[in-house]
Parts: sequence; C-alpha cells; structure tokens
Amino acid sequence: MEPVTSLDRSPMACTSLSTSAPIWQDILAQAMTGEVLAAMNYASLSEISDDPAEVADALEHAEGERGHAASFAAEGRKIGVDVANNVDAKHWKRLREAFLRCITERDFIGCLIVQEIMLESFAVASYSRVAKVAPGSLGETFARIGAEEEDHVDHAMSILRAERARDAQRFDDKVYRLHLEVMTTLAQMLAKECKDGHCEVCHARCVKPSLFDVRLSAAELRGASLQQYLKTLDMLGLPGEVTLTWVTQLPV
Amino acid sequence: MGNSVAGVATRARTSEVDFALIGHPESWRAAADVLAVLRGPERTPLPDDEIKDILPWIPPRAVCHVDIASIVDARARGLYIDSFIPPDRLEADDVHENIARVRKAAACAIEAGAKIVSLGGFSSILIEGNFDQLPERHDTVFTTGNTLTAGFIVQGIQKMCALEGRDLSRSTLLIVGATGDVGSGCARCLAPVVQRVLLSARKVERLRRLAAELQDDGVQIEVATDLQQFSVEADVVICAASLPSPSLLLGRIAPDAIVCDAGYPKNLSPTAEMLDAKVFFGGLGQITGGMKFTPDFHGVLNRHPFPDVVHGCLLEGMALALEHRFEPFSQGRGFITPQRVHEIETIAARHGIYLAPLYNADGPLEDGLDAGWNGREESMGTCTEQ
Repeated sequence: MEPVTSLDRSPMACTSLSTSAPIWQDILAQAMTGEVLAAMNYASLSEISDDPAEVADALEHAEGERGHAASFAAEGRKIGVDVANNVDAKHWKRLREAFLRCITERDFIGCLIVQEIMLESFAVASYSRVAKVAPGSLGETFARIGAEEEDHVDHAMSILRAERARDAQRFDDKVYRLHLEVMTTLAQMLAKECKDGHCEVCHARCVKPSLFDVRLSAAELRGASLQQYLKTLDMLGLPGEVTLTWVTQLPV
Repeated sequence: MGNSVAGVATRARTSEVDFALIGHPESWRAAADVLAVLRGPERTPLPDDEIKDILPWIPPRAVCHVDIASIVDARARGLYIDSFIPPDRLEADDVHENIARVRKAAACAIEAGAKIVSLGGFSSILIEGNFDQLPERHDTVFTTGNTLTAGFIVQGIQKMCALEGRDLSRSTLLIVGATGDVGSGCARCLAPVVQRVLLSARKVERLRRLAAELQDDGVQIEVATDLQQFSVEADVVICAASLPSPSLLLGRIAPDAIVCDAGYPKNLSPTAEMLDAKVFFGGLGQITGGMKFTPDFHGVLNRHPFPDVVHGCLLEGMALALEHRFEPFSQGRGFITPQRVHEIETIAARHGIYLAPLYNADGPLEDGLDAGWNGREESMGTCTEQ
C-alpha cells in the first residue's frame, strides 16, 4: 500500500504550544480513545481465533495499540495536559458495539473489515494530517504511529483480498452491511459540527471550531479519512462506482 | 444491500467494457448534481459548502456505466470515469495534481479492461502533450478525441454560416488558441476555404510554424500573440482556448461575427458584451442511436438542451468502439489533418453520431433534430479530403 504517513515531516510543523495545548489535549484524547478501543478490539479478536498464529497476531496488535495510547498520553504530559480516554463516549461506544457483534458471530473477516479497513483508514488519514502540523515530538509521535497503523492495514489486506477472491459478492455485501453500521457513526464523528451534542471525549467544548488555530480543520480530517477509506476499498477490488455511492450517502 | 447498489456491483464484475470516458465536473453545479444522483432522492442534497469540502478528496473512479447504440445496430458498453478535478482548480498551478488525477483515472480505465479510452474536456488538454505520463497499458488505447472535436467545430462554423446566410469563402477567420491540437486542426480544415486567417496563441514560435505550414496552400495569414495586433477584424471566430475575458475580443471582431466557443470551460455569452455576435458552443455531437447511463445520469453528466449530446472528444472513443477500431486515433499535438477529420467524421456518421444542434448559454439556436440544416449529409464530407 502506498504510504500515507510520512516520517519526514514538514518544517512548518512548529506552532506555539502555549495557547494551543487545550486543542492538542482534545486531539490526543480522541486519538488515545481510538487506540484503547483498538486494543480492546484486538484482545476480543484473539478470543475467537482458532489459529494460534492469528491469536498471537491479535495479541501483539493489542499490545501495540496499548503502546500507542501510552505514547499519546505521554505527549500530553509533555505539553502539560492530562489526556483522558473514554471508550464509553457515545460514538466510540457504538463503534465498539459494532465490532462486538462481529465477535459474537465469530466473524473474523467482519472484525478485520471494521478494525482495519474502517477504523484504521480513519486513524491513518487523521494522524497523517495531524503529523504535518503538530509541533516537535507531538508531530513525530503521530507520524510514527500513523506509519505503524499502515503496516497493520497492509497485513490485513492480504487476508481480505484472499477472502474476496473466494466470493466477491458475499464479501462486498458484508462490507456494505458493516459500512452502514460503522461508517455512519464515523461520518457523524467526522461531521464539521457535532450537531447531536457533546461527543463526551473533548474535555470542554467541542474542539472542531478551534482546529483552525492549529492549521487543521474538521473538513480536512473528514475528507482525508474518507479518501483513505475509498482507496483501501479500491485496493480490495470493490467497484469504485459502488463505494463512491456508499460514501456520498453518508450523513454530513 | 440496497438493490441499486447491489445491481451496479454485480454488473461491474460481470460486464465487458469496450470504452471508457474520462471527464470531470464542468462546474460546482454539475458536481452537486452528480453527488445528488449518487445520494439518491430520499436523502437531502449536500449543501454547496459540503460539496466544495468533499469533492477534492474523492479519488478518480468510475461513476456510471454508459451503453450506446449505433444506427446500424452496433452496440458498445462503457464506463464514465470522473477524475474529480475540482472546477476551480484548472489553472497552471494545479497542473501536476491534475495530471496525477488523470493518470489515476486512466489506471481505473485500464483496470476495468476498457479497450479504448477518450480523454474528455480538460483531461485531453492536460494529456495531449504528455501521453508518456499515462500508466503502462497493454490492451487499452487512449485517444484525446481532438480530431472529432475539431470536425464538429468546423461543421458548426459551416452550419452557422449557412443559417446566417454568410459566405465562408469571403470570411476572415480568427482562431484563438490556434497552436493547440484542436485549434491547429481547425486551421488546417478551414484555411483553404476562407479568405484570410488570423492565428492567435501564446507562443509566437509555434504560431509562425503553423502559419508557414498553412501558407504553403496560398492562404493569407496573420499571427499575433495579442489580439489587438491584428490589422483586420474577424467575422468568424473559433475560440479553441478559453479566453480570460470575452472582452478581449471586443474591437477585434465584427459586431455580428459568428463566434464558436470551443474552449474549456466555455465562457462566452452572447448577452454579456457581444450583443449582436452569433455565439454558439462548438465541438459537440449527438449520438442518435441512443445512450443510456446506469445509474441514470441523463441531463446530469450531459448538461445540454438537447438529448444525447456529448463532447466530440468523448464521442470519438464511442464511435471507434462502435466501429471496433480500438486504436489511438488522436494522440499528441499538431497531427490533425483534414483527411483524419474526414475519416473520423465518416466513422461517426456511419453510427449515427452527428453534429449536435447548435446552442449557447442562452439556450437552443435551432429546433434540434428538426432543424433545416441537419448536418447529416454534410457531416460525411465537410472537411473534404485534400
């Protein structure tokens, strides 16, 4: 897969942290929540795998995601803010529930689609954009973790491609069903404004209107995430005109 | 899975693709309409600001299937692939990003197994001098479609002159963007049949080369990079390149000049600053055997006041697909000759692809298929072999 996250970051990534720390606090909180959720998802996945190699992989990934969460917490401490995660926040909770439904059905492929294709597209694209503007070690951490998440996706792609080769129609139907469930929630999270109340992760008011202060925008993060999602589906071989329709039908 | 979505998915996997058309939204309105169709009537259309936020992030991809029919019972199946170049990013600053988008769109066409690909609108302008930048391909050929575009521009000029009772042989023809592929093709076709030709473009060396080529046929030629430098007014004008402002033509053309807006995007309006000029949009054809989009993008992808009207550049690929001539008919810059125009016009006409009824920004200039000058006979030989 063509790398999205560059470890060679732009020299423009050097904004003052004195005024922007509360913004980074919320960005880190969202990222950390995603990593904790991913760790929980991989741990759950290890419980339904029969193949010892898959179990080991899942546990290793879970450990890696916990490490990412710890890295984000450490970056928060460096800039003098506490980074809290909340996997029970309304959107994240729905994402976890969608994953758990796949676990209940012992649907290993469904789990990979939710975690690697949907949630990781969001993570890889968002981290890549944040890495470009975040100062110092904060930006470096986002870039490093983004690159590691891309490796996860590459690993899953080979499994998913093989699965699709067995029965493309069945595979695409499954992706679409999960798309409706998971991407609808992600699209609500990525909307330019949180129209249905506080997300329960930002520490005070919604961070989205303040993203411009750190040269980000909710629109950019959403656009990059959906682009990454479409590209990942392309690489799996799903018809581009179909996936475009799916994405344009998401809530805004 | 929703029925419409499932239907397209199944079809994409099972159908054979003869041709692909690469295009992009002509305006934000056009982009909004495409997205509205994709969202479906049950969902509220996206607000304009959302569309401007989203569109630049959409990777090039197929948008719909296109089935076409010939008047001699030939059929061809194709794909419309949108490069999603944002309508406000057609400037030189964006050229590398835009070429990358066309490359990706081309890769989609190759992956879909298209045997011939037409490069529509701005895509052909980007690629006509950069064919080596297209992805490696084996069984897919690319055409800019410029030859048929030039043919329809020439036919349009001839038709408009006939409708207005003008004698083309006594005209002074101005071509703006004369050294481009389409502009130079039009010059080669029309120079032998007008009294004088004025050639305008940005690069004087290329102008001189084209003038030298045309003068071999004994035509009176003037060249200028600045329209104000011409010694005479033109009464027939082809804008093969978009003008930064239509006002640049003022004072350099006869008040009642016939003006073919063949640039991209089309930005000449008869009501703005040229009240008496006879402005029409050039380079458009009509596929009379029928054209069907799946999903239904009729009137959305082809936003014209007449049915089944398509840009000549795209029709060239369709005509070649119907003819089973999967060859790179138009490539590079400066190779369009009257003979090649005649050849592609003949192929197109054989399958019922003719000059579209004339219209401009204000609407139709004639009554569609019932117009007196219907172009059928003439389209077989307006650009007569020399």
